Parts: sequence; structure tokens; C-alpha cells
Amino acid sequence: MYKNKVYKKIKSLLGKRCLNDKLSKVQYSYDATQKMYSPDIVALVENTNEVSEILKIANKYKVPIVPRGWGSGFSGGALNIEGGICLSLEKMDKIVEFDKDNLMVWVEAGLVNYDLQEFLKPYGLFFPPDPSSWKFSTIGGNIAENAGGPRAVKYGVTKNWVNGLEIVLADGTVLNVGSKNIKDVAGYNITDLIIGSEGTLAVVTKALLRVHPISDDKKTIQIVFNGIRAAAEMVNNILNSKIIPTSIEFVDKDAIKTVDDALNVGFPKDAEAILIIEIDGGIYEVEENSKKIKRLCEKDKSIIAFRVAKNEKEADEIWIARRSISPTLKRIADGKLNEDIVVPRSKLPDMIEKTQEIAKKHNLYIVSFGHAGDGNIHTNIMYHTDNNKEIEAAKKAMDEIFSFCLKLGGSITGEHGVGITKQDYLEKQVGSDNIKLFKNIKKAFDPKNILNPHKMRL
Amino acid sequence: MNDKISESWDSCVKCGICRSVCPVFKEEKSEPFVARGHITLIQELIKGNLNFSDKLSKEYLGKCLLCTTCVESCPNNAHTDLAVITARTFVNKIHGVPLYKKIMAQVMSQRKVLDLSVRMGNMFSSFMFKTVENVPRKGVNVRMKNPIVEKDRLLLPISKRTFLNKYPESINGKNSKKVAVFIGCAVNYSYTEVGDALINILKTLNIEVIIPKNQVCCGGPIYYAGMIDKAEKLAKKNIELFEKIEADAILIPEPTCATAIKVEYPRIFEYFSNNKYLEKAKKLSERVRDPSDYFYNDTDLINILKNKKLKKEHSVTYHDSCHLNRSLGIKQEPRELLKAIENLNFIEMKDADRCCGNGGTFSVDFRETSLKIGKRKAQNIINSTADTVVTGCSGCMMQIAEALNIENSKISVKHTIEVIDKALRGEDL
Ligand SMILES: Cc1cc2nc3c(=O)[nH]c(=O)nc-3n(C[C@H](O)[C@H](O)[C@H](O)COP(=O)(O)OP(=O)(O)OC[C@H]3O[C@@H](n4cnc5c(N)ncnc54)[C@H](O)[C@@H]3O)c2cc1C
Ligand code: SF4
Ligand code: SF4
Repeated sequence: MYKNKVYKKIKSLLGKRCLNDKLSKVQYSYDATQKMYSPDIVALVENTNEVSEILKIANKYKVPIVPRGWGSGFSGGALNIEGGICLSLEKMDKIVEFDKDNLMVWVEAGLVNYDLQEFLKPYGLFFPPDPSSWKFSTIGGNIAENAGGPRAVKYGVTKNWVNGLEIVLADGTVLNVGSKNIKDVAGYNITDLIIGSEGTLAVVTKALLRVHPISDDKKTIQIVFNGIRAAAEMVNNILNSKIIPTSIEFVDKDAIKTVDDALNVGFPKDAEAILIIEIDGGIYEVEENSKKIKRLCEKDKSIIAFRVAKNEKEADEIWIARRSISPTLKRIADGKLNEDIVVPRSKLPDMIEKTQEIAKKHNLYIVSFGHAGDGNIHTNIMYHTDNNKEIEAAKKAMDEIFSFCLKLGGSITGEHGVGITKQDYLEKQVGSDNIKLFKNIKKAFDPKNILNPHKMRL
Repeated sequence: MNDKISESWDSCVKCGICRSVCPVFKEEKSEPFVARGHITLIQELIKGNLNFSDKLSKEYLGKCLLCTTCVESCPNNAHTDLAVITARTFVNKIHGVPLYKKIMAQVMSQRKVLDLSVRMGNMFSSFMFKTVENVPRKGVNVRMKNPIVEKDRLLLPISKRTFLNKYPESINGKNSKKVAVFIGCAVNYSYTEVGDALINILKTLNIEVIIPKNQVCCGGPIYYAGMIDKAEKLAKKNIELFEKIEADAILIPEPTCATAIKVEYPRIFEYFSNNKYLEKAKKLSERVRDPSDYFYNDTDLINILKNKKLKKEHSVTYHDSCHLNRSLGIKQEPRELLKAIENLNFIEMKDADRCCGNGGTFSVDFRETSLKIGKRKAQNIINSTADTVVTGCSGCMMQIAEALNIENSKISVKHTIEVIDKALRGEDL
């Protein structure tokens, strides 16, 4: 019964932007995990005040409310697993204030990462976090998942570039946290607590982001290996020779094959692994570093191809191949367990070899690719959904991969977040005391547990 | 319907990439108006979790341009166009078809009725329509308020004499080549000058031309609206007519008709109907060509053009029609032909391959959204600083002329074929 009341109240607030018909609810019931949970009400908000009013209503009637960006999440964070309100921020997509002198910009949470990049480009600036999904994920979603991309090796992840937030708490209170000051140690660092909280502590309505000048020059290098360990070891070799590339991406054999099938990029057939390296900096520095990398590679017998992109177009071709892996995997099998484990960088060769061993043992395709420069690997365990034996084997393989990853001191998720897909493993990684603390923090922010409930073990 | 059809969209993994390219989504910013949303609706319908009894289904599945930008960008090649067309057949079953579309289907289904209605239109022309000149391209406005089109909308003009009436069934040529022409309704009845230009070029090249009088509407607009059985009837007529005609190629200066015949006819018989006609449809499909593709790849036109000049120098930008570019894969050919003309200064505009927002009946049903999309196109054309925008499609010509007109721009709108013809004759654009 409360549902009706809640609907009426939100409807009177949003009018046509409040929906509860079946068709619209289906449209807001999924994300990139492909799981479906229907909300009871879809609220397409346009400003902070509306967010605040809706939270007041949700809090009063104790209705679950799930913030949502563009629904590209890979851990089910934006799913209304218990129904309730889907709070979609996609229409809040404006740039609020551009402070060129301080190299900062206030944006609304629903702004798409790439649209911000396009805005900044004419000023010679960029926003360093660059998840592969930058063209179809929002700043709010990036903050909620602490998203990271290839450039993380040099520039870090989302949390390194957020100076402040406008947030709305579960009871509707609108709050500003952080400031434009580079140094600011007054009180708890709430900004950083919200980053990566997956919409469980507060709704982010605006963000104060730091931006960075675009380097004078950059180069993209593609190195093809005939052995996988050699590729993993090259990552450490490069970093040990005092070069910090913007990114070092890694693609394994099966990923190479699927992308090649889909896009016809023409990778060498005997390729076992590819590294994509991007370096940026001053013109002289980039030239020097690219020569250094070339010299390192000349010594390595397992390298079968070495290519430096001659222009922007060639660089784009190299990157498109990398960015297209994840969505093309369906060509191998229709089901996948998509993990984004991370290990300390030096442990990368061990982790990759172990993954291959596990794949062989269970007779499965396990496709690995990702951000080798920061030890973050996307491990995709492929299975056919109509084959129960494969499903079982895939689950076992996942358990074994997680266990080995934790043994190496790694983490079960580097960027996609815990959401619903990884919550069963969270306690194993962080321990029960940490979970207790998480719960207490959650209670302090959201005593009635209405904000994105039952995610992250909360 | 053939069950296999769902395989063409079930490859969707709900990644959301299509959100970053869909022109309708860019204006609407909500999930019902993007490929991922459309695919989900048809999937849930097929699973039995949903029905389309809600009136909203008309809007949610109607508001798609079928521009296939999403298909092009989808890493899994999910065919949202087929998903939307299929879904529309279900929507039609429940909600019926709007009266104007019923009339459209009826009129388009029979050449005689179509001819008659256009003649009537011509007769009452001055009473019903007001000719508008001194705009990006000559057109007409409706004089009276009516429920289908707005009074201020710049529409296709009506020709005094249709293309099919004007030309004989065959025109001789000394060249060994022989082509047939399928003209399409828009050029037949409205932009007849595009047809004239096509015939002139063929005459210059000395190519033998067959113009079958009995050709009927391709059925494209009817098919895209989800009235597939009616489109099928037209498809059969055209297939039977053209299979008897010996010609190296069938030239169609209207990419929407070319797409209907080349891409959609085989689909109709593969997915929506018994496939008795499938092989025939495929055979016909192989012969269908856009004139720019045929002229560039199969004739010497480009070399001839290199010695030709327009009467006055022009700077020209080019808009890719969705059907020509994505459905037929013709992108470089028209550009190369235009660039060959000596005193034509070619300027590439930003986002030349973005949809202009016409989408056939989309621009009637959702004019506001259509114009918003058109405005972006107009802006890119204006920013290119060209004095003329060239494209290979009547629908785009009409939409762009209107969008430019709204922006008070005088940039003129031409068909690729017209520009080539003018250069061959040394005339001004
Ligand atoms: C093909 C593909 C590639 C990807 N590559 C990467 C990658 O390289 N790196 C990476 O980190 N991720 C990647 N992702 C995952 C995903 O794109 C990111 O997690 C992204 O940040 C999600 O943004 P979104 O706007 O789509 O959020 P959604 O999916 O809508 O939501 C994600 C979570 O954020 C919460 N949330 C959203 N907006 C707000 C807000 N305003 N306030 C509070 N909470 C909010 C939601 O409740 C949910 O828990 C990829 C996904 C896909 C499909
Ligand atoms: S249609 Fe293609 S691009 Fe869009 S969500 Fe599905 S798989 Fe992704
Ligand atoms: S066909 Fe065009 S309008 Fe329709 S969903 Fe795809 S991109 Fe959007």
C-alpha cells in the first residue's frame, strides 16, 4: 500500500518524469551484468532539490532507493534487487562551474566522462580517469565505483582527482564535502569515504574534479609476445628502468583472437600476449622513453612484433582493439564470470600463469586482459549457459582464482566494485572486523538502510 | 515469423555502448529511447514477461530512426533495426496503425492510386500548398491546419510531370553497358530533377538504360512501420518485374529504396515470410547499386569529371545518408566524384555520418525530436563554411533544407547526382 502513496508523492514532484508502468520499469531493471530486477518506481531527476525531496519520502516510508548513472556497471550496483525506487541521474548532466585558474571543474553527477573530456579539450586539459567505458558511464558512477582506466599507472584512479562533492544523505540533507583547497585536513575525509561506496552511503549530485594539462606529446606502442610470462615480466622491466608509462595494458591469446574475429585488426597468428604501452610527457622525454623501451625489447627473444603508432589514427586502432574485448567475448560462449582481480604488480606473472593452469584443469576458456601496469586483470571465465557441467566448473575455477589472488595479497575487485556479484567473497578478503566496521559506518549514514540496501554485504 | 530472427539481436550484452551514439537518446536521455532498451522490450515480450498493451509501447518503439548507428557501433553486431521492426509488428497488432499510415500504405501499394493522388495534389496544389522559394531547397508548405503535418513544415514539392511519365521505357546507348533504373517515389513525384540528372549522366556515358514502367513503390516506409505483409506484396511485384530485365546493374538514386530492395527484401523472405522468394530476392539484391557507387567503380566518370568545371566555383560539404553509408556501405565514392570536379572545393564537416533526424515517418510522428537532431546537423553544415551541402538521399535533402531554413541559412541543398550533372554541363549549381 505504501507503494501507491510513495508513487503519488514522487509523481506530484516529477510529473512525467516519474514512471511506474511495466515497460518503463523493465527499461530500468538491468545493467551490464545482464541481470534483471525491476524497480517499482523510476524517478528521472533533474536537480539536487528533487533528489533531496525523493530521499525524504523514501526515508519516511522506508523504501529502498538505488542511485543510477548510465547502467554500465559490472557488479550489479544499479539494480533494484528489492524493488523500490530507481533514482536515475542521467538527466543531471551539466557542467556547473569551470574554474580554470584552479584547474577544477564542478559537474553534475550524470555527466558522461567523455563529454567532460570533450569540454576540456579546447582548453588543453583532460580529466585523467579513463575507464574503458568512458563514453557510456557517468562521473557519478565513476565516483561510486572509484573507476579506473588504462592511465591509472601514471595518473591514478577516480579518487585521485576528486576534491569535493555535493551529496544528499538518506534523510534528504544536502551536504558539501571537501573544498577547492589542495591541502585541507579539517575533519574526516568524507569525500574519500563516499568514493567507491557504490551508492550505499549517499547520493552524489555534484562533483568538484581536478583536471590536468594534456602533455605535449604521447606515443602508443604495441608489443606482441610469443609467451605470456615474458609479457608479464616486461611490465616490471619497463617500470624498473625508471619509465612510468601512462598505461600498460595486457591482452592474452584468446582475447586477441576474439577481437580479431570481431574487428579484423590483423594481429599476428602466433601471438600469445600483447602489451599496449602509452607514454606521455614533453616531446624530448617521450622520444627518449620510447627509445629506451625499444632497446629493452630488442634484448627480448620472445617478442615477435614491435610497433609504434605513427599517428593518432594508428593509436586509435590499437586502443579500439583493446577497448572492444570485453563486449565481444560473447562470441566464445554465452555465459561468463567476469572478475577484475588485482594483485601487487610484481606478482602479475604468477597470477597469469596460475589462471592458465586453472583453465586447463577445468577444461574452460579463461580470457585474461586488462591493466597490467597496475596489476589489475580482467579474468573472464567463459561457459555455455545450457551446460550445467561447465557452469559448475566455472564456479570452481572462480573460487580457485580468488583464493590464489588473495594468497598473493591481491583483491577480488580492482575497479568494478562489489555490488551483488562479489559480495560472497568480500568477508574472505577483508575479514569480519572490517565488515562490522562497514556496517557501523553504513548505519551512521543511513540508519534505515534504504540506500542501495543488500549490496556489499550491507 | 521465423524464430531465427531473435538471434540477430540476442547477442546484445547490455553494455550500454549504444547510449553514446544513438541520436535519439542524445535528445531524450532515457533508456526507452536507445538500442539496449528496444532490444530488452522485444526480448521480454518474447519471453512472455511483458505485453505491449500499454500505449507507451507506441512511443517507445516508434521513436527510433532506424539509422543503424547503434548497429555499426555495437561490438556484438546486435541488430536493433530488426528488433524494432519486429516489435512494431506486435505494437500494430494491438494498437492498430495510425490512419495516415494506413492511407500511406494503401496509396503506396498501387502505382495508379499514387499517380492519381499526386495529380490531384497538383490540381489543387495552389489551393492546398504554398510554394516556398529562396530557401535551401525549393519546397512547399501546407496552407491548412491539419492533424498530420505542421503548417510551417517545408515539404517535398510536387512535380508537374512524374519521372516515369517523362522518359521512355528504354534509352539506347553505344556503350556495351546496360543498366536499369528504379527511381523511387520521392524522385518520381517530387525531386524529378534528380532523375533528369541521372539520365543525363547515363546519356553522356552512352550507357543503355531501361526504365520499367511497371515498377512499384519499394515498400520501404511501409516495412519500417511494421506493416510487413503489405511490404511483402510490393517486394514480390518488384522482384518479378526486375528478374525479367537484363541489366548489369539496377541503379537507385534513393538509398532508402535501395536499402529496402537490397537489404530488406531478403530479410522479409528469410524472417517474416515463407522463403520461396528468398533466392530471387538475393539475386535481385546483388544487382542493386547506388549510382555513385556504379559510376565510380564501373565507369570512367571520374576521369571525365577531372576535365570539367562548374560555371562558378563552389565550396561543398557532404552529408552521409544513413542508408547509403551504413546500410549500403557507400562512403568514399560520392566524395571522390565530387572532389574530382576542378573548381569544387570539398570541405568535410564534423560528424558527417550522423543521422539528420528525418527517419521517414519519424519526422512526422516526433517532429520536435526530429528537429532537435536536425539542428545539430544544420549547425555542423553551417560551421563547415560551405555554400552547398550535398547528399545522396531525398529524405535527407528535405530534412536538411528544413533544418537550415529554421536557422535562416541560405546554404543550398543538392543531390550528388545533380552536382555531377551540372559539372558535366559546365553549369552553375
Ligand atoms: C564494456 C565495459 C567496460 C568497462 N570498463 C571499465 C574500466 O575500464 N574501468 C572501470 O572502472 N569500470 C569499467 N566498467 C564498469 C562501469 O562502466 C563503471 O563501473 C562505471 O563507473 C559505472 O558508471 P555508470 O554511470 O554506468 O553507473 P551505474 O552502472 O549506473 O551504477 C554503478 C554504481 O554506482 C552507483 N551510482 C551511480 N551514480 C551514482 C550517484 N550519482 N551517486 C551515488 N551512487 C551512484 C550505483 O548505485 C551503482 O552502485 C566497464 C563496463 C563496461 C560495460
Ligand atoms: S546493442 Fe550492442 S552496444 Fe547496445 S547494449 Fe547491446 S551489445 Fe551493447
Ligand atoms: S537505429 Fe538509430 S535511433 Fe534507433 S536505437 Fe539505433 S541509433 Fe538509436
